[in-house]
Amino acid sequence: MIEFINVSKKYNHDVAALEDINIKIEKGEFVFLVGPSGSGKSTFLKLMVKEDDATTGTVIVNNTNVNKLKEKDIPFLRRKIGFVFQDFRLLYDRTVAENIIFALRVVEASEKDIKFQLKSVLELVGLDGKENCYPNQLSGGEQQRISLARALATRPPIIIADEPTGNLDPKTANEIFKTLLDINARGTTVLVVTHAKDIVDGLNKRVIALDNGKVVRDDARGGYLK
Amino acid sequence: MTTNTYLIKEGYDNLKKHGSKTFSTMLIICATMIVLGIFIILLQNVNKNVQTVRNEQGFQAFIDDASTEVETEYIKDNIKIIPGVKDIKYIDKDMAFEDAKSVFKDQEYLLQGLEKVKPFPASFVITFNDINEASAIKSQVEKIDGITKVKYNETTIQAIITISKIANIFLLGIGCIMLIISMFIISNTIKLAVYSNKREIYIMKYIGATNSFIRKPFIVEGAIMGLLSALISFVLISVSYVIIYARLPKIGTSLGIFGFMPYSQLWYQILIIFTIIGLFIGVVGSAISIRKYLKV
Repeated sequence: MIEFINVSKKYNHDVAALEDINIKIEKGEFVFLVGPSGSGKSTFLKLMVKEDDATTGTVIVNNTNVNKLKEKDIPFLRRKIGFVFQDFRLLYDRTVAENIIFALRVVEASEKDIKFQLKSVLELVGLDGKENCYPNQLSGGEQQRISLARALATRPPIIIADEPTGNLDPKTANEIFKTLLDINARGTTVLVVTHAKDIVDGLNKRVIALDNGKVVRDDARGGYLK
Repeated sequence: MTTNTYLIKEGYDNLKKHGSKTFSTMLIICATMIVLGIFIILLQNVNKNVQTVRNEQGFQAFIDDASTEVETEYIKDNIKIIPGVKDIKYIDKDMAFEDAKSVFKDQEYLLQGLEKVKPFPASFVITFNDINEASAIKSQVEKIDGITKVKYNETTIQAIITISKIANIFLLGIGCIMLIISMFIISNTIKLAVYSNKREIYIMKYIGATNSFIRKPFIVEGAIMGLLSALISFVLISVSYVIIYARLPKIGTSLGIFGFMPYSQLWYQILIIFTIIGLFIGVVGSAISIRKYLKV
C-alpha cells in the first residue's frame, strides 16, 4: 500500500531530511510514525502526497510510483489519501455538513452519494445531529471529528493523521483513536504521526521510529520508546 | 447540482462574501472603463468627423471654354476610368454662374452685366475614395486634354490626414496605457481576495481538487465582477452622453463643421467593447492572481 525504497531527501547540499529509507506498509495496517521534532516525519508525509519530491529512491503509494507522477495526476493520488491535520484545517464559515460535502464536491461525487456518505461518516465519527453547527460552536475534539469525517467521506484506502490529538485533552484523544481503530478495522490503512506516548504504548501496534532522517526502529508491535 | 453549477454558485457566494473587496475592485474597473469609454467616444467622434470632411473633399477640374459637348463627354469618360475616383459631377457654365451668385450674395453688383457672358468656366467636381490618393488622381486629371486647371486644396487635405493620424495614435496609446494600468491594479486587488482564500485553496489541494476545480469559482467571481462593472459603466456613460448630446446643437453650431454622433450610432460599440474588456479583466486578472497559490 505504501512503500519507500532507498528514499533520501535533501533540502540543500548538506542536510538530509530523510536518508535511505526502506519501509513497506501493507494494506489494512495500523502504523505509528514516531520521533522527535526534525526527525523527518513531516518530510515523509510530504513525499507521500507529492508536496515534495524524493531526491533519490522510489515512493509507491496505492500502486502508484509517486516520483513519476505528472502534476496533473497529483489530485488523483491525493484522493486516495484522507488527511487529518493537528490544527483540523476546517472552513470556519461553513457548517459541519458543508465542510464534509466540500470534500465530496472536490471528487465530483453524485448528489445521491453525497447524501449517503454525509450521513454515514457523521454516524461513524459520532457527529450525527450536529451537521448544521459551525465548527466554532463545537469543542476541539468535535472539530477534529469533522476533520476525520471529511477525510473519510471520499472513502480513501489510506488515512494519514498528522498529530491528530496534539491539541486535545487525553479523554478526547482516546476517543479519536478509537474512531481511527474503527476505521482501520473496516480495512483502511492508517498511518498516524504522533507524540502521544500513552496511546502508542497502550495500543501495541506497529511503530516506525525516525531520528535524524533515518529509521531507527520498526517494531511489528511496540511502544513509543524502545 | 452538477459540479459546474456548484462551482458557479461558489463563485457567486464568494462575491457576496468578499463584499467590500468586491465593491472596491468593481469601483476600479468602472473608473477605468469610464475613462476608456470617454476615449472611445472621442475617438469615434473624431474619426466620424474626419471621415465626413474627407468625403466632402474633392477637387474641381476646369474645362477649356472651347470644348465641345463631345469633347466634354470624352473628358468625363477619361476621368471616370482613373482608379480611385468615386464620383464625378458636371457643373456647366450656367451652374457655375449661379454658384458665383450665391458666393457674392451680398455684393451682387460685382456680377452685374455678366449674365450674358457667363465668364466662369464649366468644370467637373471629382471626389475620391481615399484621400491619400488625391495627389496621384490630380496629376492624372491634369494630363487629360481639355482640362485647363485643377483646383485642389492640398493644405487642407494634408492637414486632415495628419490630424486624423495623430488623434488616432494619441487616443489609442492612452487607451492602451489605461488598460495596462487597470489590469495591474485589478490583478492586485483580486490577489488580495485570493490571498484571503489561501487556507481554503490549501485544504482543497490536500483533498485532491484539480487546479481547474479550484480556479473556476475565482474565475466566475472575476467574470461576474467584470460584467457587472461593464454594465454599470455602460449605463453611466450612456446617460451622461445622452444628457450632454441633448445640449450639443448649440455647441455644434458655434464650432462650425464639428458635430457629435448621436448615441444610437455608438451604444452598441461601447457595450461590446465594455463587455469584452470586463470579461477579459475579470477572467485573466483572477487566473493570473490564483496561479501562484496552486503550487502545493
